[in-house]
Amino acid sequence: MSRIGVFVCHCGENIGRTVDVARVAEAMRGLPGVAHAVDYKYMCSDPGQAMIKQAIAEKQLTGVVVAACSPHMHEKTFRRAAAGGGINPFLCEMANVREHCSWIHEDREKATEKAIDITRMIVEKVKRNAPLTTIRIPVERRALVIGGGIAGIQAALDIADGGREVVLVEKEPSIGGHMSQLSETFPTLDCSQCILTPRMVEVFQHPRIKLLTYSEVESVEGYIGNFKVKIRKKARSIDESKCNGCGECQKTCPNRRIPSEFDQGLGKRTAIYVPFPQAVPNLPVIDREKCSYFRGKAKGSKKEVCGKCRAACGRGAILFDQEDSFVEEKVGAIVVATGYRLYEIGKEQDSELLKGYGEYGYGTIPDVIDGLQFERLASASGPTSGAIQRPSDGKVPKRIVFLQCIGSRDPAKGIEYCSKICCMYVAKHTMLYRHKVHDGQATVFYMDIRANGKGYDEFVRRAIEEDGARYVRGRVSRMYRDGDVIKVLGYDTVNGTPLSIDADMVVLATAMRPQPGIQGLAQKLSVSYDKHGFINEAHPKLRPVETNTAGVYVAGACQSPRDIPDSVAMASAAASKVLGLFSNEELEREPTVAVVNADLCTGCFHCERVCAYGAITRKEIRDRNGNLVKVVADVNKGVCQGCGTCQATCPSKSLELAGFTDDQIYAAINAFAEL
Amino acid sequence: MQELRELAKKLLAEGAVKVVVGYAEGRQGVRPIFAATPEDADKLIFDPRCVQNLATYLSPRRAHVAALGKLAVVVKGCDAMAAAGMIREAQRKRDDFVLIGVRCGGVLADPRASAAVTEATVAARCPGCEVREPKIVDHLLGPLPPAPPGASALDARIAELDAMTPEERFAFWTSELAKCVRCNACREICPMCFCVRCVCDKSQPQWIESSPHARGNLAWHMTRALHQAGRCVGCGECERACPVGIPLSLLNRKVARVVAERFDYVVSDDPEKPAPIGTYRLEDDQEFIR
Repeated sequence: MSRIGVFVCHCGENIGRTVDVARVAEAMRGLPGVAHAVDYKYMCSDPGQAMIKQAIAEKQLTGVVVAACSPHMHEKTFRRAAAGGGINPFLCEMANVREHCSWIHEDREKATEKAIDITRMIVEKVKRNAPLTTIRIPVERRALVIGGGIAGIQAALDIADGGREVVLVEKEPSIGGHMSQLSETFPTLDCSQCILTPRMVEVFQHPRIKLLTYSEVESVEGYIGNFKVKIRKKARSIDESKCNGCGECQKTCPNRRIPSEFDQGLGKRTAIYVPFPQAVPNLPVIDREKCSYFRGKAKGSKKEVCGKCRAACGRGAILFDQEDSFVEEKVGAIVVATGYRLYEIGKEQDSELLKGYGEYGYGTIPDVIDGLQFERLASASGPTSGAIQRPSDGKVPKRIVFLQCIGSRDPAKGIEYCSKICCMYVAKHTMLYRHKVHDGQATVFYMDIRANGKGYDEFVRRAIEEDGARYVRGRVSRMYRDGDVIKVLGYDTVNGTPLSIDADMVVLATAMRPQPGIQGLAQKLSVSYDKHGFINEAHPKLRPVETNTAGVYVAGACQSPRDIPDSVAMASAAASKVLGLFSNEELEREPTVAVVNADLCTGCFHCERVCAYGAITRKEIRDRNGNLVKVVADVNKGVCQGCGTCQATCPSKSLELAGFTDDQIYAAINAFAEL
Repeated sequence: MQELRELAKKLLAEGAVKVVVGYAEGRQGVRPIFAATPEDADKLIFDPRCVQNLATYLSPRRAHVAALGKLAVVVKGCDAMAAAGMIREAQRKRDDFVLIGVRCGGVLADPRASAAVTEATVAARCPGCEVREPKIVDHLLGPLPPAPPGASALDARIAELDAMTPEERFAFWTSELAKCVRCNACREICPMCFCVRCVCDKSQPQWIESSPHARGNLAWHMTRALHQAGRCVGCGECERACPVGIPLSLLNRKVARVVAERFDYVVSDDPEKPAPIGTYRLEDDQEFIR
């Protein structure tokens, strides 16, 4: 015979205002199998929990129902209290009479009746609860970090310094990400490379970091604590063990006019190249699309077309016939830090939702460049060695117009969000420009200035007050080339006047977007992303670096636009989560997972096909002589998330969810229908 | 006919199979026969009266049949689809049995008649059949007869039902299902019903009431139809077995049509073709889950 204790919570006024809690408790008292029913102001408080523990002991309760808030909020609290009282924690359940009742209804009478119904259903369910034991699964205490920008680097270093091994995967030939392309960084104007390069080297030399550059995640299997990751090492065409980075191969390469990705197309590179001098690892890679040797081979030429780099290499490190190889890694946690790219503002867009800014002539007027291109112009390691020269004729521009919010905060063009960094880097650009071209005039078109970090507003003011940047509030409607000047037609919304400015160069602060291919990666990891492609965090306030998939964390600009300080902070936060996960050898999991009744399982494996987590495997049942009797479904308790899809799919109902068995659900329904 | 008998004898003589399951003359038209000897094999026939779906004997539920040893089964296109379905759903392995396929020009609505296949006598499911030459089989016999004549009576009936208001349609099915005596013949004859324990036999909790009552009848037939979604081969055996004449084929075909529209899936005799359940495609029509 069940002896259920029902504890109805007022939740201060949250429930008590709308629901007659005393009446709910009273109604429960009359139910068969209910041995105890009370109401209390704050059930989750220490005295409230003490009431539960005391009642379990005094009334010999076999089950506990707490009619209160959402189980998301306090189920753990009350289960702990029940366990403290001496019964299995899974014999305690919550009836949600707050979110499902008091918060959404106004009529006290009807709300009270509904609260009684809800509680009665859970009472019937709990009568059929069985004690469950927490599942413990081993944790592989190594981490995978995807993306070798500043966020990935920081996360990898923090985890490795915390004593755990890290595999860092970067799809480009070198780590460093966009930060390595930047000139000086706001708000302190310290040189980006100077602060980044030591960290890159640290990653490379760290005994606990395995660095895989020019590599991409191919597939991910498994679950928190036990991921199996297959990584594709793209063919560099270089024997990494032989190459010493001398650079002779690059000197002989005849294809010297390939736009450099690192210099945002403003500089040139060879077909065999190291992206930038401080690249880590300092190994070249052959761009097979541009390399004469491979192009010749692709055209079917019998003779080798080039091969000069191979001849030049003193160590025989050039491997033209190298193929992509695969590495398998077992890791317990994954940090996604794939970063961003800039919104390309031309007419051609990769998504139909994006409209582009054809009217600004980006791509047709050579002196209209984007923010990253300006970074390269201003960078000492850039194509002009830091001299501000315009791309068309190399002249020093005397008048530069900067446009903010290009793409950002513009639902009409497809991107509603603020890209967060543009206000700051445009202010920085005006300063860098003025520091290099003393008589130059920088004009900034802005919508409003968002400079809300430490020292940020001071920084923007310095650009205006000390370095004479001219800020105009308004949008630019059109730009066109007139001789060697660019006519910028805009509107000054403070003075209410149209404006036409002659510029020698225009810099567009284009929106930040997630890296291409992020959707594919997110699907491999089973994490969700928003319509722009940014990875969704589990909770924007309370779980900002976790995703909805346990064991997968997120850092940096792949979650939303971020500047360097934020990316680093987020990366360290993700790393601390990973280290927290790794602090135990075993991981505790809720036992509410699917259970197969092997006697009844027909082995049709519909459940295997529908399981989104790959938790269902096939198990052979053999008789005592070892003869195969049948093959049935088996649930990997570590992988199962308790979603119940298999249970819904099983035609014979041979699968049940522990804690949510057919019997329990049926009892709850019957209680509701008063059968 | 002779070709079939020779093949059966050869398979038995070679020891490739222990039993050939086929059709033979019976007292009421054609009946299934388990031929284990050359004499039995000489009784094998195939003609438009052979309506039964012999793939049912491959069902793992029929352990007594499996105990006979390796089977060869004479299959029409619809029967071959059932065999393929069992392979797709991991009930049997392809190497476990031999399929003797017969080219088919449609079967009769009433197998006791001996009339030729005409628009008037053809089974409702046959016109428009696309598996008259099953591909999954080990042997394929006979010349290809002309296609079944006419249009499917089922399709016409579905169109009538579709034209009804939901209330009229519900009334129609309520009155049809009221006849059900819960004999489970539809389930027992179905090659695709192979659960060890049927959900309608589950007693704790009893989701489906097992006595012939409107409540349980509706639950049972809805469950059965949905469990057949994307799986039913349309052989019509359930309807033929039904002692009270519930038009189950109508229900099955309507569900199959919904599956075809929603999931672009038509049951075939290719066991490798993934079934709609458990197959997620980005282009799947999703308006119904919004």
